[in-house]
Amino acid sequence: MPGGGHCPDCGSTELVEDSHYSQSQLVCSDCGCVVTEGVLTTTFSDEGNLREVTYSRSTGENDQVSRSQQRGLRRVRDLCRVLQLPSTFEDTAVAYYQQAYRHSGIRAARLQKKEVLVGCCVLITCRQHNWPLTMGTVCALLYADLDVFSGTYMQIVKLLGLDVPSLCLADLVKTYCSSFRLFQASPSVPPKYVEDKEKMLSRTLQLVELADETWLVTGRHPLPVITAATFLAWQSLQPSHRLTCSLARFCKLANVDLPYPASSRLQELLSVLLRMAERLAWLQVLKLDKRSVVKHIGDLLQHRHTLVRKAFRDGTAEMEAGEKELRERCQGPEQGKEEVASSSLDLPEGKRPASPTPLLPPCMLKPPKRICPPPPVSTVTGDENISDSEIEQYLRTPQEIKDFEKAQAARQAARSVSNPP
Amino acid sequence: MAPTVCSGLDRVEAEAQGRDLRGPCPAPSRPDPQLGPASPFAPAGLINGLCATRAQSGSAAAQLAWALPPSRLSALLTVGPPPMEEEQTYLELYLDQCTAQDDLAAPRSPLLSPVVPDDGYIPNTSNSETVFNAHLQEVKGASGHFSSVDLSFLPDELTQESKDQSVIKSKQDIEENGKTQSQQSRLSLPREQDIGLGLISDSTLSKSHSQAYPGDADSDQPSPEKPNSTPLMSITPMTPVTPVSECSGIVPQLQNIVSTVNLACKLDLKKIALHAKNAEYNPKRFAAVIMRIREPRTTALIFSSGKMVCTGAKSEEQSRLAARKYARVVQKLGFPARFLDFKIQNMVGSCDVRFPIRLEGLVLTHQQFSSYEPELFPGLIYRMVKPRIVLLIFVSGKVVLTGAKERSEIYEAFENIYPILKGFKKA
Repeated sequence: MPGGGHCPDCGSTELVEDSHYSQSQLVCSDCGCVVTEGVLTTTFSDEGNLREVTYSRSTGENDQVSRSQQRGLRRVRDLCRVLQLPSTFEDTAVAYYQQAYRHSGIRAARLQKKEVLVGCCVLITCRQHNWPLTMGTVCALLYADLDVFSGTYMQIVKLLGLDVPSLCLADLVKTYCSSFRLFQASPSVPPKYVEDKEKMLSRTLQLVELADETWLVTGRHPLPVITAATFLAWQSLQPSHRLTCSLARFCKLANVDLPYPASSRLQELLSVLLRMAERLAWLQVLKLDKRSVVKHIGDLLQHRHTLVRKAFRDGTAEMEAGEKELRERCQGPEQGKEEVASSSLDLPEGKRPASPTPLLPPCMLKPPKRICPPPPVSTVTGDENISDSEIEQYLRTPQEIKDFEKAQAARQAARSVSNPP
Repeated sequence: MAPTVCSGLDRVEAEAQGRDLRGPCPAPSRPDPQLGPASPFAPAGLINGLCATRAQSGSAAAQLAWALPPSRLSALLTVGPPPMEEEQTYLELYLDQCTAQDDLAAPRSPLLSPVVPDDGYIPNTSNSETVFNAHLQEVKGASGHFSSVDLSFLPDELTQESKDQSVIKSKQDIEENGKTQSQQSRLSLPREQDIGLGLISDSTLSKSHSQAYPGDADSDQPSPEKPNSTPLMSITPMTPVTPVSECSGIVPQLQNIVSTVNLACKLDLKKIALHAKNAEYNPKRFAAVIMRIREPRTTALIFSSGKMVCTGAKSEEQSRLAARKYARVVQKLGFPARFLDFKIQNMVGSCDVRFPIRLEGLVLTHQQFSSYEPELFPGLIYRMVKPRIVLLIFVSGKVVLTGAKERSEIYEAFENIYPILKGFKKA
């Protein structure tokens, strides 16, 4: 405890600032003796027990700030401390909160929104310093709904006119991977499952880059992709022992939540790797499937740039160009179009794989769910005559009205009977 | 003479306005078996703007025609309503078909119908070109039919004129993509005026050409000696003067129109819900009657103050018709409903650019307009300043445009965004 006072009764230094109603008192927490009472007039002995006054209390700046804003600012600081952010982040986030509070719409908002606003300010600060904090994490910490959070976030970015950079994927990979509890043996983690952090990080990064290049990341939540990539990286480092482990079990072992889309991201990533494997000479003979390709991820990643270029055509370029090139290749020896290392990677003509698939996001590769029919020609002018019969079809006849009223009354009666007062 | 030309053409054009279908109307239901699908190189762009009005403004055209000295302009106008007693002269036949072709062309305003992708562009033009050539032979042979007006030059002139016109038109097509047909015609007017002026001021026809199109790169045409299809054939369908990349060739489709109207009388919502079959009213949930009609398929929110919101229509006219139908229903229920202050509040359109888009890149370069949060929404929200439209851009290349009060705002916004998106085409 600050100050440096002793209780005159028991001599303990455990003096607590407590207030009795509106009077501030200094009380010994051991014996309950009131050391000082009020600070208007002090005796010499009292002065020895005086506490130092914090800057914020002495300047009176908090008098101009409303209680709810003070509460909000305290929440901002608490959140920053919980997330173990550097101290500069705290000041920036507090500044954003104060700035937001100047707008009447925020001042009049509900407490729930003000609470969420705390998270928004911290998130914006982290984004601007490239600190990888996801919205899911913030919402979990605040016990907030993502919908409410998204609404407030979009509103505050627009209101304050802020320029918020995108989430930095590489940093997020590092942070997220480090949270996997697989780097040390423990009762839940068998020794064969323990992995070196650096190796796993680098391989995960390469897989995430590959996913980004092949349109698996754009438009999607980043975290499930990273989960799938981490899983594949981990599996591929010791496939013999780890192929039997499923994604769900992996996440449970690592003490990380499994995001729902991660399994479909995993399948997409595996299909990309399989298409790349078709272009690798010594893998074409093996007839790989989604399980066996994991063993060769190391090789595939080593040559990933070349393989992506060869395995995929730019989706927008005409397919004829790709087919023409394939025909040319079939005719003569390998052209110089390929990279240095790739000539050895190509098989003889007889075993050439199918023509390259277009490099498109998965949503464009799937066939459309329903064919939109072309809109019919409409020669409506807006001023046509409206026939009476057309309007009559929407009106009830008197008999129908009577029936309807009877039915409604019966339903009301039935309801009141079933819910006795 | 010049003022007469201008005013007459304006009048004719004004009459055409009411009839003109806006920009990207799909192909009309009247397929002409003889002609291929519409072509931006509709023969004799001069005829293009005028023939469309033939049906309605015959008298105006005739008046205009006789006011001018025998020039090609007047000649073409006179053949509108046949001044002669011959019913179907070859030229008449040809011009009839030109009109039909222009009718096909007009709604599409140099573009294809929205559902036809760019690959349909080439076959269309070549198709109509051959058709045009066939007719040209006929026209050439029958030039002697018209005695009162000297039309012997017509086939050759037509070739030359059409070539220049089509080149000009193609420039227009590419530059003013997506604008309404009326605007298109208005733009072609100055050219026609030039022609008129050029022709009037100079008796020789070859000179008039070079005067009419001073700025045209192709103005130094050889004298139109070749009556045949060669000059036309030399215009390969796909060599427009401006590069194709400047026009997108894609037209956004309107998906939803929201409009409001004031019925100007207090309404008893309970009575409406009781007497109308297509109404639902749940005062605990929402303080308005939700009414639906089948044609046009729309939904209306009718409030007790007499205000009404109509949603779900696919065009402005449909929205207005639907609002009128709802007002009529309310009228028939015994309320003194009127139809005041009909206003379109919002228009939503969508289209597909057909290539994937790197949203991360787009948000980096257009930070001040874009908002891309993949954790919240898979699309990028682009707030365009001029026109004030919000676009939702997705990785698949689909674009949704909303916030427009006018159809032209949507088209303009798409034309603004298309070159930006093309920049992010490559992986």
